[in-house]
Amino acid sequence: MTVTAPTSEVVFDVRNVTLRFGGVTSLNDVSLQMRRGEILAVIGPNGAGKTSLFNSLTGVYTPQEGSIMLAARRGDSPTSVVGMKTHRVNQLGVARTFQNIRLFPALTALENVKVGVETRQRSGPIAAMLGMPWQRREERESNSRAYELMKRVGLSGRANDIASSLAYGEQRRLEIARALGTNPGVILLDEPAAGTNPVEKRELASLIKSINAEDDVSVLLIEHDMKLVMSVADRIVVLNFGEKIAEGTPEQIQRDPVVIAAYLGTSAEQAESQADAQPELRLIDIEPEGEQS
Amino acid sequence: MTALETRTRPAPPAAPHRRGPRIPSWLTRLLACLGGSLVLALMIGDQEGSQTDYGLTFRKQILAPRVFAFLALGVLLFLCVSYWPRIKPYLTRPGFWPLISGGLAVLASITLMHWFDQAGNGKFGAVSDAVSRTSGISPIATAFYGWLAWTMLVVSVVVGGAAIVIGLRWLAFGVAALAVVAAVITYLAHQAVVDFTGQPDHSLGYLVSILGYIVILSGMLAAGLSHEASARSKHFVTRVLGFRPGLPLVIVGFVVTLLSFVGAAAWFSPSNKNTSLSETHDLFASTSINPFALNYLGWLSWVVFVGTLALAAAATWYRHRLLGWLAALAGAASTIITLVVLYDISKLGARTKFDGATGPWQNLGVGGWMACGGLFLLGSAGFVVATSARATRRVAAGTANGSLSGSPNGSGPNGVSATGSVAAADAAPATQPSPGRRAVGYLTAPGAARSAVLIAIAAALFYPPTATPFWQQVVVSEIGISMLLAAGLNVVVGWAGLLDLGFIAFYAIGSYTTAYFVGSLPVKPPSWLHMTPLLTIPFAIIACLMAGVILGAPTLRLRGDYLAIVTLGFGEIIHLAAVNSQSITNGAEGLTNDTGRHTKSVPNPSIHIGPLHIHWGLNQLQYWYLLLVFLVVVLLAFRRLEHSRLGRAWAAVREDEVAAQATGINTTKVKLAAFAIGASTSGVAGVFFASQIGTFTPDNFVLNNSILIVAYVVFGGMGSLPGALAGAAMLTWLPEFLKSQVPSSDRLMWIGAVVMLMMIFRPAGLIPARRRAAELSGLDGSSSSETRAVPAGEGL
Repeated sequence: MTVTAPTSEVVFDVRNVTLRFGGVTSLNDVSLQMRRGEILAVIGPNGAGKTSLFNSLTGVYTPQEGSIMLAARRGDSPTSVVGMKTHRVNQLGVARTFQNIRLFPALTALENVKVGVETRQRSGPIAAMLGMPWQRREERESNSRAYELMKRVGLSGRANDIASSLAYGEQRRLEIARALGTNPGVILLDEPAAGTNPVEKRELASLIKSINAEDDVSVLLIEHDMKLVMSVADRIVVLNFGEKIAEGTPEQIQRDPVVIAAYLGTSAEQAESQADAQPELRLIDIEPEGEQS
Repeated sequence: MTALETRTRPAPPAAPHRRGPRIPSWLTRLLACLGGSLVLALMIGDQEGSQTDYGLTFRKQILAPRVFAFLALGVLLFLCVSYWPRIKPYLTRPGFWPLISGGLAVLASITLMHWFDQAGNGKFGAVSDAVSRTSGISPIATAFYGWLAWTMLVVSVVVGGAAIVIGLRWLAFGVAALAVVAAVITYLAHQAVVDFTGQPDHSLGYLVSILGYIVILSGMLAAGLSHEASARSKHFVTRVLGFRPGLPLVIVGFVVTLLSFVGAAAWFSPSNKNTSLSETHDLFASTSINPFALNYLGWLSWVVFVGTLALAAAATWYRHRLLGWLAALAGAASTIITLVVLYDISKLGARTKFDGATGPWQNLGVGGWMACGGLFLLGSAGFVVATSARATRRVAAGTANGSLSGSPNGSGPNGVSATGSVAAADAAPATQPSPGRRAVGYLTAPGAARSAVLIAIAAALFYPPTATPFWQQVVVSEIGISMLLAAGLNVVVGWAGLLDLGFIAFYAIGSYTTAYFVGSLPVKPPSWLHMTPLLTIPFAIIACLMAGVILGAPTLRLRGDYLAIVTLGFGEIIHLAAVNSQSITNGAEGLTNDTGRHTKSVPNPSIHIGPLHIHWGLNQLQYWYLLLVFLVVVLLAFRRLEHSRLGRAWAAVREDEVAAQATGINTTKVKLAAFAIGASTSGVAGVFFASQIGTFTPDNFVLNNSILIVAYVVFGGMGSLPGALAGAAMLTWLPEFLKSQVPSSDRLMWIGAVVMLMMIFRPAGLIPARRRAAELSGLDGSSSSETRAVPAGEGL
């Protein structure tokens, strides 16, 4: 598959964002650009501000400084999302999943996806109470779209099960299906592989790639599993203590002494010399598959 | 019996590190059982303490044998709990639970229910006193009311239990025969008393008793015939109901109609004269009654009955859709014919001023209404057959579709889900296109849920006319209105998960809006806006919508408890505003026919459209049918709403507000919609209330009533529409029922006890919502909505 972003169009343009909670600075002067159609991974140690970045991008948190411009779908003109309501950001084409799964546990799996699909529909309560033809049509459409998405993430056999009865990995995939239901231009995945087994991780990697390639959805990914990150990401941004410390292709990031230092907790110089001496200290050994540039 | 089941959970072992003497667990259990039985013994009977002698009650209870009976019950309970593992295998023997529940039904009918209204308080004891004092009554009745009733009950339960425990088949069949005899004797004895006095009778005690014996009969037959070591009644019920969809309806319809035709059930009952079907024919033979009605009373009724029955039975047995529709049509037609005949005879009765009748539909007996109900049920059976055939096919198509579009086998790892979804799809209304959920509960057989709904409709249509005026009034002004209110609050509390403690305020707004537009308040509307009560409905809805939005818009960002407090304040504000704005609402005096203040009572509703003139007067029944129309419209609309886009959005907001926002749901708008829709339902109830009762004061809209409505919804099952209705009906019926059972000062204590027991043993409510049942059944304990009162943004 192609890796270099084919277009220079920007989805998220984050400039000098600073987010504080009282005296704690969660994000400090972070700037990054996410290009259309790419898979961008955000990595960093615990507490580095990855999820804070996600929440700032989706309107859950409002950063005190800086600007975030969004053009989620192809052809959108850039809009500022700072201070915008979460559901508005979602309607502009930003879907997300959560680090600790947040499904609607008492609804069936299918209904969870339908909730996502239906946020793009228009029929109101009166039409529903009267059973108007257009409302019925929308209901049918939502049904078939939801089934389609369930199939897409490999859950078509479990459509009528209560969401909370699904296995952990299935719940993660269901969350992705729900996010895709809102027809996003960009999807933010917060640790989608947490708590899944190696087989599920491989499936997840191919799912992410296919979402990116076939649905033309840009993917912003937070993940601790380096193997997964290195295998799917086009570019990687590294955060540490709320600051961006590196940005580049997986190859570059693996060799970056600052990143290694951040993960090992030593100074950059030490890390560099160590890395030269001991190649096995690289973040992870990946077999270069295909044409990794 | 749930008490027993829940106690079987192993008690947590006593903490090993605890110091001091350890009380053995059996002792605490014994004390708990004895204490509970003592409390129960004290709860029953009059509370007779006096200011000088506080111990009077207790001594009376101690001296009465009652307290020992209850202590014995406590010991029995203790033994049951202690030796549960030994007892348990017997409890699952086939036929055991039917025996117990049938016995309890008979016991309840003898101790609690009315047997003959004209004798004393109408209960069994009063009737038996009256019978023993009367000579010349049939010996069956004397024996039955004297000693036979209790003897038959005790013998059948004890011997039946022994037959099950020992496993003697012939004894089980013997008890089955005894149950048949007992049911027949009960019927004959009751009829003998009613015939002897010839007075109208509205009692249901004998019916429940007969029903109890039929249940015992089925249990004993199961015990005698079954070769299984253990039986699961749930599966049994499902299998019986699923054998032929609609068959239970045919049987019930057949029995009810037959009883109304052949028995002593009165078709026409002016005072001191009960005339059965044939007697009514003789009575009217020489009058100027329309020949069609006379023929009906003579022979046509039988033709209609047999024809409908044959159609319904054939349709049910062969599961033929066309026959099903025909039977449904025949049922509807025969019900209407019967109604027409009832109208004719009562109109003639009224024209001759017979027994003070002033219009049609008066002086009618129970029989005609029973016949209507029975014929309606026969037609319903046809309807169930016709529609469940379609449902089955649709689900089959759905599964095929699923397997085409998904994994090799649509039901994959969970075979349960496949059968479950058949039933659930059937239980769901035909308009609901989304596939079913995992089915929970008894009514999982195809057509069973629909049958239950149709029986409820038959009861709602044809039971109230047979009730006493007191119960008719209860049905209208208590049960009906609270059902409407509970349906409205269920939207807010059950579906959207917003605790609203000021719901009665919208009811008040609806009532006062009506009063304004009909010109009953000190403030008058412009003359061109003056209207009749029913026309104010849209205005009341608009007023309540606006009030809902005004309350909701600034406060809906609050969550859970905080929102509840704000709504509480809103309810109080409306109440106080009504009390204090003397010039607008006439203050605390409310609406009276007070010319000085220019208030008058709200007129009763009436409709004048073209040739149609209906005026609702003092007859409660008329109001009941008007209310029924409101209820049906609201229910149909809400049923659709629940499974619509908005309904799912409500569920999403209730389950996880943060995730709902991130999925693109405008949570404020969705919550506002819930508030507005709930409020407008309440407003409609307010219109009805105002025009039915005529005069009201602000005291009709106090906080207490708001809390009661919340209780209805929670008691019935949050988020379940049938549950909310059942809860409202149950909790409004119970106080009225208890009026004749316990001293009036004890009434609230009993209601409290019932509510507490219900919440302990069945926290999901009477008819739990499927979603909620799944939550509470422990599939996912940690994520139920109560335990996740996490503010926005936290834990992301």
